Amino acid sequence: MTTSLPPAIEIQGLTKRYGDRVAVDQLSVQIPRGAVAGFIGPNGAGKTTTMAMLLGLVRPTSGDGTVLGEPIRRPERYVGRVGALLEAPSLWPALNSFENLRVLARLGGHDERRIPEVLDLVGLRARGGDRFGRYSLGMKQRLGIAAGLLGDPELLILDEPTNGLDPAGMSDMRDLIARIAADGRTVLVSSHLLSELEQICDWLMIIEAGRLVYAGEAAAFGAHTGNEILLGPAEPADLLALADVVAAAGHEAGSAGEHLVVPINGTDPRVVAASLNSAAAAAGIVLAELHVRRPTLESVYLRMFEGEVA
Amino acid sequence: MIAAIRAEFARLIRRRVLFGTLLTALAVGIGGANIVLSAAEPAGKVSPTSSAPTLEALSGSGGGTQVFRYVVSFAGTLVFVVFIGLFALEFSRGTYRTMLLRQPRRIQLLTGRYLALVGFVAAALACTEVIAWITARIEGSAFGVTTHAWTSVDALGSALQDYGTVLVWLVGYSVLGMTVAVLLRSVPIALAVGIAWAGPAEHLIGDAWSNAEKVFPGLLLEIVGRGGTATVSTTQAVVTALGYVLVAAVVSCAVFARRDATA
Repeated sequence: MTTSLPPAIEIQGLTKRYGDRVAVDQLSVQIPRGAVAGFIGPNGAGKTTTMAMLLGLVRPTSGDGTVLGEPIRRPERYVGRVGALLEAPSLWPALNSFENLRVLARLGGHDERRIPEVLDLVGLRARGGDRFGRYSLGMKQRLGIAAGLLGDPELLILDEPTNGLDPAGMSDMRDLIARIAADGRTVLVSSHLLSELEQICDWLMIIEAGRLVYAGEAAAFGAHTGNEILLGPAEPADLLALADVVAAAGHEAGSAGEHLVVPINGTDPRVVAASLNSAAAAAGIVLAELHVRRPTLESVYLRMFEGEVA
Repeated sequence: MIAAIRAEFARLIRRRVLFGTLLTALAVGIGGANIVLSAAEPAGKVSPTSSAPTLEALSGSGGGTQVFRYVVSFAGTLVFVVFIGLFALEFSRGTYRTMLLRQPRRIQLLTGRYLALVGFVAAALACTEVIAWITARIEGSAFGVTTHAWTSVDALGSALQDYGTVLVWLVGYSVLGMTVAVLLRSVPIALAVGIAWAGPAEHLIGDAWSNAEKVFPGLLLEIVGRGGTATVSTTQAVVTALGYVLVAAVVSCAVFARRDATA
């Protein structure tokens, strides 16, 4: 990630109201050039609206900002240098990949000779002659990204690119985004799949109810949060009894399926794990699993929002 | 705007579209010319107030392209409906948003698309005129129509005038169709409102109110297509209809430029 350049995206007090409803509320953030930024938030948090404002599709109610150094109220100055996929790709179902991309290349004034290149990049060249309407969702998503790459963009904005994809499709998409980012492009990608984002993002932007909750390096997110211990009884029926044992030892535990997750702060986790193991054994509970682990992006995120709800 | 025109032509100049359009032009030109020729009667048998073709009129220098004008008399409604469908469908599919991501200059995008589509319609119309003329020339004598005068200089002037009149008429309908689509964005709603207004509503009011044909855009455009009536001259109809068309074009551009592209 290169941070010496001016930010790829810089917004101040960006707000969008639809009548009485505030979709995006005073959002201020900077995303450095070259970053692969994950954009996280619950459904309806304002992610798509924010992206649409950055792309000039939706007019901000108030606030300002720049994209690639140009004001967001003048999208014609920068949209040609931005590639985007917003929600499901909308293209012409009767046209094949080549024809769809030719229309968009002409609209954007891009070189039509790039069409085979971008189809290669997303792995669709062999099916380029098939009509868009006959593609699977994963192929449509990939063609949407190919359309975004036509202008060889400096910034790529992807809204839920893994939506509706099967695990193999998600993995392909993750690899594709990583390849695109490896060329030094800035990528802003939203997804509900935090485990996917965790693997590719070095920057995070989290919003809830239109308001910014966190913006910064991914490594710094949750750094204040300690490790956690995962406990799994051999008999699932012992889960409640195990929770009582953990509580009696002075720890709070959350349940995760047939496991308990115990967050640890400021104490050597191995010491805590050993004491919990002994306490469980003393209570007649056999542990089938006992791990100390770093919290995942998902667990920190969920803890953050559960804490706010509580 | 040139980029938007070129992009639209990338969709229009496809074998499937061209073949379909040529087939339609052949069917309308050949079928229509046969219907018009077979419906023509000697002037003595036709009521003076009737707009039906007469053998004498068709035998004049402008007769060849007069056949074309009768043949395309339904084209105004067709173009109106097609333009509503073409423009509203892009909203329903979400493809305007995709286009705006490549061409954020909204007025240029809308204008470029419109010009490309009207250019295509104009070319299809010219093909239909030529096909109708050739068909009528070949078959005219079988229906009692003399076609010797159809190849004169006067005939060429009539052909251009007839083509121009029909084109002006169709441009008016196409702008109104685009405006209804941009305002309503949904294909079924735009079609329902557009057809209800231009069809039954204007004609029902027109039956009850004698000045309606001087006021309503659809009736005015019909008068342009017919070449004027006893109460409204072609010039008066063209000027008033042009006013409506300009207002409609400005409204559709303003709405398209200002509104959030959420789909």
